[in-house]
Amino acid sequence: MSDGLQALADLTSASEEMDYGKTGLHQRHTASLENVLKVGKTFLDEGYILEMLTCQDLREKEEVMRLCYTFNSLDAVDRHLVHVDIAGGLASEQFEAPTMSNLTGGANWQEREVFEMYGVTFTGHNELERLLLPEDADFFPLRKDFGRIEDADE
Amino acid sequence: MSSDSQASEGEVYSLNMGPQHPSMHGVLRLLLDLRGEEVIRAKPVIGYSHRAHEKMAENRNTLQFLPNTSRVDYLSGMIYNLGYCQAIEKLLGIDVPERAIYIRVIVNELNRIASHLLWFGTFLLDLGGITPFLYSFDDREEILDILDQVTGSRLTYCYGRFGGVTWDVDETFLTRATAFLARIRERLHMYKQLVTDNVILRERCTGVGVVSEALAKSYGVTGPSLRASGVAYDVRKAEPYGGYDRFDFEVPVLHEGDTMARFHIRIREIEESCKIIEQAIEAIPEGEILPKKMPKRFKLPEGEYYFAVESARGHFGMYIVGDGSDIPVKLKLRTPSFSNLSAMPETLAGTMLADTIAIVGSIDVVMPEIDR
Amino acid sequence: MPQTLTQLLDGSVLAMPIAAGLIMGMLTVNVLMLVWAERKVSAWIQMRMGPTEVGPFGLLQTLADMLKLISKQLITPSNVDKPLYHLAPLLAFAPVVAAVALFPFSESTILVQNDYGLLFVFAFGGIAVIAIFMAGWGSNNKYALLGAIRSVAQNISYEVPLILSALSVVLVVNAMGPTLSSGDGVVAINGLDLSHIVMTQDQQGIWFVVLQPIAAIIYFISALAETNRAPFDIPEAESELVAGFHTEYSGMRFSLFFFAEYTNMLIVSMLAVVLFFGGWDGPVLPGPAWFFLKSYAVIFVMMWVRWTFPRLRFDQLMTFCWKVLIPLSILNLLATAFVIAVL
Repeated sequence: MSDGLQALADLTSASEEMDYGKTGLHQRHTASLENVLKVGKTFLDEGYILEMLTCQDLREKEEVMRLCYTFNSLDAVDRHLVHVDIAGGLASEQFEAPTMSNLTGGANWQEREVFEMYGVTFTGHNELERLLLPEDADFFPLRKDFGRIEDADE
Repeated sequence: MSSDSQASEGEVYSLNMGPQHPSMHGVLRLLLDLRGEEVIRAKPVIGYSHRAHEKMAENRNTLQFLPNTSRVDYLSGMIYNLGYCQAIEKLLGIDVPERAIYIRVIVNELNRIASHLLWFGTFLLDLGGITPFLYSFDDREEILDILDQVTGSRLTYCYGRFGGVTWDVDETFLTRATAFLARIRERLHMYKQLVTDNVILRERCTGVGVVSEALAKSYGVTGPSLRASGVAYDVRKAEPYGGYDRFDFEVPVLHEGDTMARFHIRIREIEESCKIIEQAIEAIPEGEILPKKMPKRFKLPEGEYYFAVESARGHFGMYIVGDGSDIPVKLKLRTPSFSNLSAMPETLAGTMLADTIAIVGSIDVVMPEIDR
Repeated sequence: MPQTLTQLLDGSVLAMPIAAGLIMGMLTVNVLMLVWAERKVSAWIQMRMGPTEVGPFGLLQTLADMLKLISKQLITPSNVDKPLYHLAPLLAFAPVVAAVALFPFSESTILVQNDYGLLFVFAFGGIAVIAIFMAGWGSNNKYALLGAIRSVAQNISYEVPLILSALSVVLVVNAMGPTLSSGDGVVAINGLDLSHIVMTQDQQGIWFVVLQPIAAIIYFISALAETNRAPFDIPEAESELVAGFHTEYSGMRFSLFFFAEYTNMLIVSMLAVVLFFGGWDGPVLPGPAWFFLKSYAVIFVMMWVRWTFPRLRFDQLMTFCWKVLIPLSILNLLATAFVIAVL
């Protein structure tokens, strides 16, 4: 880990080294909702890019909606996966996270995609609208309770 | 032309371009706010070819998803198809036979050249040069024929298998590929004289649509568009996969970041791909194309995995979450055009209407890959 | 032998219909051939076959296309400005037909003899701009309007170097002498008379392209822009504006624009032949044959350019006109006048 990323130790919990040869990831961190922007800023300041942002619907097993950010350096590969858990079970509808789109432009569309696919609202995002789905879509297709595609056909 | 809302905004009016428009590649739609010919604001509207590939991945087992991959980006379907195979192989620890590695590299790079040739033609079509389009398609046709001979399909290949490739290649394939290399090099020389050195093309492209290094990094722009902005990032070099570390090739980099730089980068990448194919044809060993022992079902071990390949447009990443079954819990496809296009609103503002077409053409977007 | 067709038909009530019929017939055949030629030339440049199925070498392909266009329903979009929308194709079409009548195909084959033929040709060319703008405005379509605005700006700008380069030739013609021997005997020379320009080249034994090479180049470039041909086809730039000012037109109305466009090509080529390439002047073959051979040679070059180059951007086009072509043509005109004055 480069020196600039030392600050991550304070901002994240449960950081662990990963087997890059097997998983393609160097490290995995878990950050809280309050710290996610600081974590993002730490990476971006070090010249890392936000490579990917997606989400996992773990409401059934762990009662969380998990945002997954990967940051990578373009100079020498160093991929960090950051988990941010938003608490909420199957019953809860509202999931909120702060937007990273003011820090890096790449977050803009990716957050919109997570918003429409998982129903996570990014507070502070200035054009949080549907990206791939029709404007009037009122469902979140990548949530596990949306069902399988076969079910939706019936 | 004379509604009240437009009158109140003074000289600014909006123009809807696409999804049905001669130069919007695929089904891209751009909402442009114009003052005369100057673009004040550009807003891409996407999603017209959304096919829910990520949802499909959660609905079927890893093998069943294999044909989906080449449909994600139909212009470099081979790279996506083999990339997915390589990801699964890495997860399951399957060793790929030597011969299959070389075959994969050859077909991958042929596919990359085909994709760049198609871009070359359509980009010049956007600039109003119709003739180069037919020449580059003639070249591309040759690649499609070569790949058709070995894979049986021309666009949406499903040539990869976990552990290797479907069919072995024969001598004819290698001879044709070698002959094609000679042909494309001759053609590239002609393209340089007729197209690259053309003063009108240079006037249209130089200094137009500059994507600075900072902007590119901020939006996660990758591939030729990033390399034209001065960052030597190529997944084939940064995280060598599929045996790319055995080949001697360069990653072309330019620092201007304009449309002309993106043009040059892609032309030079065709040359580099030729070099790789040449080396691979020379060194291809005899042997099996699939491992002898293969698991019956491809059960994904529990955990999270990220695997990236360099597609013709940039960093194609797969984020896979497994839970011990052969159906992924989550398969995220991080596609390069998605990020490349997301940088466009910032790049297009302040350009001329004609430049908008040139810039969007120069970043080489493939809509199905963005919409997935 | 009567000198012109007008004189032959003078006094007959059938004069006008016959002349009009002749022109229309000639132009229709010409457009059909030009479209066929354009497709064959582009196919040849692009390693294709072009039309091959209808008639020998696909010669009747465009005839079939024309019949299709004629038989199509005339669609009027609901929100157009109807008078402008309906009138524009006719107004684009009529002046180009009228302009063709002024050209001397040989010393004795002139449909309408006019002492100021050159002026009239340019005047008729100017009317087309109005038609294009009517089409763009009347269509109530943003692409059409943008195309029309570009077209008006472009055509008006490029008319300046076009006329200035022609004016250099007129100066030369007038300087060649006070009189000229023609079929009627000796007449006072008139540089604005199209046949006098040709006769002067004939009698002096020199084509003006030799005396006025710069004017010829400027004329050719401006002519490409005047006819909206690539690399100056910005008003109908397909990749930006779909089809420019005629986006909303279909069927016969579209074909009238198409007809006007190809006839315009013929007109600027014929004018180029008259001004710079000695008109009907040539050995063995009759005058009209030479005249058309030369015109089609010029058109071939225009097609060649179109299928080779990409398109300019609009601001580059205007900059090129106002900062390069117009100063150059003015300098050329001044230099011509200076040389004539000294000699």
